[in-house]
Amino acid sequence: MTDYVDAGEAVPHRTLSAVKGQAPATSDVNYERIQGARSEPENWLTYYGTYDGQRFSSLDQINKDTVKRLSPAWVFQAGSSGLHAGASTYSFEASPLIVEGVMYVSGPDGKVWAIDGKTGEELWRYKHASPYDVSLCCGNVNRGVAVGHGKVYMYTLNAHLIALDATSGELVWDVVNGDVRAGESGSVAPLIVKDKVIVGSAGGEFGLRGHMDAFNAETGERMWRTYTIPKPGEPGSETWPDDGEAWQRGGANCWVTSTYDAELELLFQGTGNPAPDFDGGVREGDNLYTDSVVAVDVNTGEIRWHYQFTPHDLWDYDSTMENLLFDGPDGQKLLAHADKNGYFFVLDRTNGELVRVFPFVDRITWGEITPEGKVTPKVYPDEEGVPVHFWPGPAGGKEWTHMSYNPQTGLIYVPVQEVGATATRRRREFKESIPYWGAGVAVDLDDFYGYVAAIDPLTGEEKWRWDNEYPMCASTLTTAGSLVFQGTPTGELVALDAETGEKLWSFQCGSGHHSSPSTYSIDGRQYIAVPTGWGGWVEGFLPGLLGAAAGDALFCFALPES
Amino acid sequence: MTSTDRTDELHAAGLDGQNRTALGRLLGTGSIGHAEEGSDGVMRATVRIPEDELIWEPSILVFPHGGEIELTLINDDKNTHCAVLPHNGDPKIIWMVNHSKGTARLSLGGPGTYYYGSTTGNDEGRGLTGALVLGGEVPDSAKIDRPPQPRP
Repeated sequence: MTDYVDAGEAVPHRTLSAVKGQAPATSDVNYERIQGARSEPENWLTYYGTYDGQRFSSLDQINKDTVKRLSPAWVFQAGSSGLHAGASTYSFEASPLIVEGVMYVSGPDGKVWAIDGKTGEELWRYKHASPYDVSLCCGNVNRGVAVGHGKVYMYTLNAHLIALDATSGELVWDVVNGDVRAGESGSVAPLIVKDKVIVGSAGGEFGLRGHMDAFNAETGERMWRTYTIPKPGEPGSETWPDDGEAWQRGGANCWVTSTYDAELELLFQGTGNPAPDFDGGVREGDNLYTDSVVAVDVNTGEIRWHYQFTPHDLWDYDSTMENLLFDGPDGQKLLAHADKNGYFFVLDRTNGELVRVFPFVDRITWGEITPEGKVTPKVYPDEEGVPVHFWPGPAGGKEWTHMSYNPQTGLIYVPVQEVGATATRRRREFKESIPYWGAGVAVDLDDFYGYVAAIDPLTGEEKWRWDNEYPMCASTLTTAGSLVFQGTPTGELVALDAETGEKLWSFQCGSGHHSSPSTYSIDGRQYIAVPTGWGGWVEGFLPGLLGAAAGDALFCFALPES
Repeated sequence: MTSTDRTDELHAAGLDGQNRTALGRLLGTGSIGHAEEGSDGVMRATVRIPEDELIWEPSILVFPHGGEIELTLINDDKNTHCAVLPHNGDPKIIWMVNHSKGTARLSLGGPGTYYYGSTTGNDEGRGLTGALVLGGEVPDSAKIDRPPQPRP
């Protein structure tokens, strides 16, 4: 044989599928519309549903009386092909967005889909190719997309910000924003504010200098970058050693989406742990702006104020999780934050002043924070080779997964993890792309539990709790149907009575939850959408379930039509 | 250890062929090839499947940086295979009957390693999993503002 058979040219995989390749055009999603997202509850326009991070919907078709009839409407399977990064640690962690019946959601390994919200039909797909060897502290995950200006935005595993055409899924632009050789990655759901798309760095276990970035939503041009570790001479640099290199690799990454106050024009960004995580001897000082909320001027990127939840962290207590915005009875602009360190903070969001702080978990041994906010460390790994056990463990009393606020009850529903850990300090030198923990860490394999805590942020009182054998590792969602939805690590999606905590309904999804459910309606029918799939940093938040089944399905529930 | 030592060692251990020590061929034990960058900026290389070896040859292709890639794929085997290859937008697939030749145009970000394979039966496990290794650095605009740091 001499002449080869002509095999032609390779074609996109999706052309050999039923995917339509086109989604219906929707009305423009712009800044004004996202500001008013609460007034169109049929949609879920931005990561938290609204800029304030409340994760509350005024939809009430599914309510305390009807929820017992809630049933699957459709299921979408993400699937995979070939070898991919984090082959054993991927997880479906996103919060689905919905615009006029079209769902936009990202999955593991660079995948984005437009899905018919009514039928589950795949309308288009895009897959960003992700290097197999990209550094990932916590698995092959992505927390979602932003939709607006006719585009869908995703921040990829290899730290590219990409913009896709919302109707076709075709690439509009692709900007490299992080250094994968330095161990940087991307997992945050972008946030659209004004003409900007906001993202932040991931890679807290690799000794980065954290940053958040704003890009022009139309062109992909970077408009500002703000580092969350100051350089020598900049404000906050006095909290780092004078003569060291620690600031250069100090951490404070921004891998969870900001909340935003349009009146103040401030982004409220949580920042990650300092690096090395557990060895404070090489970074004496408070280490600003690690483990903080920074209030950032959306127009300039300037840090207006900050509040540090765990100064000189020695326990991996990131504060990246949301800063939920709500108003006090007197109109005071407040911010609520349930930190990994086990304390719940309420701040004045105009200036960062502490209003109150109280514990929201049962077991706190690492240290103490007084009602006035004074922090006293008690148990920490400071002696080389000596194991130290502490609660909460490095995944925290609450991880990145989000709490929700129901203005009808005035309660915040917090997914709580009661898991401890042992860290043994092991000093090591820094090398780019190599994990930089400064310790050996083993999270407890037993003696764990969890609960949903319904907390009055105005008093600190826990009104009720729903106990579970396993810690709560997924976001809550609350609705005007007086319900709280919570996914469990063992696969159940549970509906609780928002006033009492009584369990009203559950459905076994077949794999654990580590995502953020959302709700929407089409033609008057309300849906609850929840990505499922146990994975990510399981060894950090619940190693007792490291052997649980993986998965990557998105379930969508509704009441029967008849 | 020289490359010859390594080759000999793999052969002696029965890891460099089909149905010797293992059932298939250990991944990544084929040769290493380098793409050539044309004046148009496209990086080109050829991979083939030799008869009864169930391997892409070279099994590791090195590219100087991320960008546009044009692969020529040749199936010299007496069986049918295929290739599903990484590409920004969607993986690309090409079906390759016995003694066939085709192309794949790919766009990939660098640096980083991507794997591709023949997704029929368990071709991937038997040895038909190849690596595309993209070198280089990210653009300066994507780097962190700090002095150069030590690397491993």
